[in-house]
Amino acid sequence: MAAVSSINPAHVPVEISRANQHDVRIRWQDGHVGVYPARYLRLRCACAECVHEFTGEALLKPSAVPVDVHPARIEAVGRYAVQIRWSDGHSTGIYSFDRLRLICPCETCLPTAGA
Amino acid sequence: MADPVTESAVLDALRKIEDPDLHQDIVTLGFVKNIKIDGGAVSFTIEMTTPACPVRERFNSEAREFVSNIPGVTAVDVQMTSQVRPTRADQKNQLIPGVRNVVPVASGKGGVGKSTVSANLAIALSQMGARVGLMDADIYGPSIPMILGVKEGPKVTDQNRIIPPVEHGVKIVSMGFFVQENEAVIWRGPMLMQMITQFLGDVEWGELDYLIVDLPPGTGDVQLTLCQKIPLTGAVIVSTPQDVALKVAQKAVVLFQKLKCPILGLIENMSYFVCRHCNEREELFGNGGARRAAVDLDIPFLGEIPLATEIRTASDDGLPLVISEPESPYAKAFQHIAENMAAQVSVQNMSGAGQVNITF
Repeated sequence: MAAVSSINPAHVPVEISRANQHDVRIRWQDGHVGVYPARYLRLRCACAECVHEFTGEALLKPSAVPVDVHPARIEAVGRYAVQIRWSDGHSTGIYSFDRLRLICPCETCLPTAGA
Repeated sequence: MADPVTESAVLDALRKIEDPDLHQDIVTLGFVKNIKIDGGAVSFTIEMTTPACPVRERFNSEAREFVSNIPGVTAVDVQMTSQVRPTRADQKNQLIPGVRNVVPVASGKGGVGKSTVSANLAIALSQMGARVGLMDADIYGPSIPMILGVKEGPKVTDQNRIIPPVEHGVKIVSMGFFVQENEAVIWRGPMLMQMITQFLGDVEWGELDYLIVDLPPGTGDVQLTLCQKIPLTGAVIVSTPQDVALKVAQKAVVLFQKLKCPILGLIENMSYFVCRHCNEREELFGNGGARRAAVDLDIPFLGEIPLATEIRTASDDGLPLVISEPESPYAKAFQHIAENMAAQVSVQNMSGAGQVNITF
């Protein structure tokens, strides 16, 4: 059995705040800081309305997302994720901390940032 | 004449006492309060992080000894109190604002004695002076009302708030209160989610130090909902010692890991059986399996509970062993595990890990 109990500190945020009027800034427990442009985050929503549950096919059309889309509110989901209520009314997406770290768009992470 | 006793001399003496779980001395941890010095008479308070602290007696006697060794001290008065720390205060919209710690008791497999363990842990904590609630979230097979001998169901106020019955000092809510004994709950996910949300938000839990949640077996909707709705302090995993049970228990560990819920530790139930005729210890399922698994999984081992007819009959009679035979070795096993669990809760809360400050 492999050790699984330790929670990777790189995947736990310390602070989620406003980078500016629209964009989200995340400071992680390991000291890393990433700024997520609002629309970038909205287009990466992984909920069943935006991504097909079985095939993984993208259902969300970027053209359908307003250019100035931004989070209206961000709430914690337990200890592992946040739920974002968007200005376009969408709110079913849960962004796990693991995934947020994976898609960090900063210069260091970007080459490996997932779709 | 000796120099007057100073506060810093008292603090220096107390700095020699280290908390074995938090790995710091009790002065640095902020446990020492209200130091009063009147000539040679010294009094102070040690405020622990739980009334179920496994080392409270040692703290007390060491504090007396070390302070009375200071030159000039003629009398030492130590008050022991406790203040249970909350898991975190940052999650907005909290369903249960008065509850400081939520501890789910989980297993992979069914039939490992999760409900009996939950009930005895809850009562043991309450006996040590903690304010405790027990939520029976085993929607399909709610057995807590029977194990605790709950005679009266909850009351519902005009505002549709559920007032939980209190048995042996523990506030209790169970699906068993809401379905007839010979009925079955046949529900899909969304209904389960709604029920769990109600058990959290619509119940008058009041101020609690620990809310123990008896989960159904497995890694399903109830576990997921609980992990999403509230910030859990940490999960306790119950397993029997044989390999097949431990393999499945590991899956429960992985579920909580994925949802970033810390694991407080592993409990081995039905560890061994002592024959009442020859007093020989029989290792029915093999022994020590859970202890080894805890080491492999790098999680704390909270203790072992033997397989005993007394534990089973006490559960069937609705009078758990920690109440009916508190001095028996079985009750001692539960009390020991309750202390270890409370210590792990303190470790989690003092570490400050998982505190996310959201300002958006």
